[in-house]
Amino acid sequence: MGVLVSLRWWLVFGVGMCLLPLVVSTGTLRILVFAQFLAIFAMSWDILSGRTGYISFGHPFLIGIAGYTTAMLTYHLGVPLYFSIPAAVVATMIGSIFFFIPALRTRGTYFAVVTLAFMEVLYHLMQVVQPKLTGGTRGLSGLPTIILGAVPNYYLSFGVMFVIGVGLWLLIRTRLGTALSTIRMDEDAARSSGLNTTKLKLFAFMLSAFVAGIGGALYTHYLGSIAPRGIFDISFLFSILIAALIGGAGTIVGPIMGAYFLTLLLEFLRPYLPGPERYLIYGAITLLAYYYAPKGFHNIFGLLWQRLGALGRRE
Amino acid sequence: MKIKFALKAFLAAAVIMSAYTIAAPASADEDPVVVGFIGSFDSDVGKSTLRGAEIAIEELNEAGGVLGGRQIKLVKADTREDVAEGIKAYEYLNEVEKVDFIVSGSIDDVSLGWLPRMTEYRTPTLDTWTSFIGIIDKVVEDYDKYKMYFMNVANDYALAMLYVDFGKDILAKKMQWKTVVVLQEDTAFGGGVFELIDQLLAPEAKIEIVDHIVYDVNTVDFAPIYSKAVQATPDFIYLISSVRSQVPSSQYVKLQVPLPMTGINVAALGMEFWGDTGGMGGGLSTLSPIPSIGIDMDDRSKAMLAKYQAKHGDNRPVVPHFNGFNAYFGIYNAFAAAERAGGFAPLDKWVTEMENSDTKIYKDGELWLRYAYWKPGEIEPRTEREYTHNIKFDITPPYEDGAPSMVVIQWYTDGSVKVVYPEKYANGDFSVPPWVK
Repeated sequence: MGVLVSLRWWLVFGVGMCLLPLVVSTGTLRILVFAQFLAIFAMSWDILSGRTGYISFGHPFLIGIAGYTTAMLTYHLGVPLYFSIPAAVVATMIGSIFFFIPALRTRGTYFAVVTLAFMEVLYHLMQVVQPKLTGGTRGLSGLPTIILGAVPNYYLSFGVMFVIGVGLWLLIRTRLGTALSTIRMDEDAARSSGLNTTKLKLFAFMLSAFVAGIGGALYTHYLGSIAPRGIFDISFLFSILIAALIGGAGTIVGPIMGAYFLTLLLEFLRPYLPGPERYLIYGAITLLAYYYAPKGFHNIFGLLWQRLGALGRRE
Repeated sequence: MKIKFALKAFLAAAVIMSAYTIAAPASADEDPVVVGFIGSFDSDVGKSTLRGAEIAIEELNEAGGVLGGRQIKLVKADTREDVAEGIKAYEYLNEVEKVDFIVSGSIDDVSLGWLPRMTEYRTPTLDTWTSFIGIIDKVVEDYDKYKMYFMNVANDYALAMLYVDFGKDILAKKMQWKTVVVLQEDTAFGGGVFELIDQLLAPEAKIEIVDHIVYDVNTVDFAPIYSKAVQATPDFIYLISSVRSQVPSSQYVKLQVPLPMTGINVAALGMEFWGDTGGMGGGLSTLSPIPSIGIDMDDRSKAMLAKYQAKHGDNRPVVPHFNGFNAYFGIYNAFAAAERAGGFAPLDKWVTEMENSDTKIYKDGELWLRYAYWKPGEIEPRTEREYTHNIKFDITPPYEDGAPSMVVIQWYTDGSVKVVYPEKYANGDFSVPPWVK
């Protein structure tokens, strides 16, 4: 029953967002496209790190594999997008095995540092290994786009984000989702109770890579370009992490909230503060939000929901 | 239950809608022509383009406006030299500000990032900083798609051609240098320039690259790097540095590295270089697109510089980098083309008129600067290739068809800076630091 009620909220959200192009400008839709891609990346991070507690600092590694795979296939070989994008997703999932191997032996900070190293290694590899293929330091520009225009891209990015969001949200409500959480709580205890934590972790890594692969490939073709400095960038990584944390890690809905909040906040400030001071305000607001709501917006909305419910019962 | 759900849904919708209401774009005041600036707000490079464009726009507005007396409104979008931010900025200028024309002070990969958006919006765009030949190649190969793009600085291939001449005439012939260690920063710009140096300078000037050292832009201690360079026993060091160049420069002098150093040192393109290096930049030289600091100026550039300095005083950069002048003259060209074409739309008409631009600037009766553009199909005689929509440079002495693609500027130990190559523009001599034997 609880799942059905919550699904109704997903429906409200979906219908509301579908009607949005009728009331907002195309400029706002362009901002929302970036928010929706960030939400996909943050959910991908959340299903791995938020759920299992294996904190990844190298998510751009996965996104980069997807982006570069589809970029090189389409740019150099003229491979159609309906083939290059699935190929990119598969490549990302294969790449995630590199992520998974250290998770068999390391945890906590060590795992996080290893994943960060993966990102750095790929950043340098893309520039020096076969630069004619990867575009070297400048990357590749003029990649084919799936569709043109703010409205179609808005619907595409929203549709993908929505399907991924609902899918992951339903998944974490299953026994499998609960089993993933036990790894975060106490991996040794989970193993002692008979759970095959290696298989569970592999599943989480693969699923995370699958989502990152879809997002990375679509994002690359939305941008129409890819550059090592744009993908394997520490501020890009932080955006993903902060979106997940400020929204509420481990909840799937939280990262979506966080992504919308961060992207909209930064872009809404642009007309009033076009210079670097925008980032100061943005940073301060984000810090305050995290300080006063360390469990994320998802938690705040949950509390608000309960209070509204209590108010309704009193009346 | 249903009422409660409806109440919550209403509240949620109200929260979402109020957020979007804030985002609604402001309505236009009158009917100005809107020019967008895209670039980094906090770099000397970005500021140079922005301020150069501002001065041109102020002059045009003071002269009664453009296109039948309309005023020009400048709107700005910061890229932070970040690729994704650049794309967002380009989208913002088009979707929210509805710009008619864009002037850019973006670095290579940022320009490459927003380029697909440019082809989508079909907005006339003038780049004043990036010199990446790959963008010009795109215009040549797919003219219809990229024809709205103009590059108001000589491309890096043309820069390298003249730098090869400098290598042959000065480094190899005059200085008798035969070996080099390339010290390259780890950036898109650095990698691209190294490819050209490797392919052109080494084989054509007969200078052998004995080592190639790539360093991180955040490096603070260059002692081990210079030590490695010295161990390779080259005749000189070629520095490729566009980010925090004052760090390798000042440490080069502080450590008194016993090798001469030249190359591309972006920090040395501004008058702040001397102060930024604590007065330790003497003996260093760098390639610079034209017009550079240290160059003898024509009257028009002098007048622009006077206005610039009156307006910005001690606020850095006290003298705009080359792209500041290119933005200034580029804005004039763009609006002159718009006047002839009746506006920036239809695009084809404006592009044709922009291609016909030919602003020749003389100094003492000699052609000094030229703001014209290579037309489609036009072949540059020395390299025998097309450079459609690149500024019309001249890479063959005596440079009578346009300005050379670059000059080499030299910093001296007394803090002065002069041009040392090519001869037509030279007002100083190439030299090495006093401690280098």
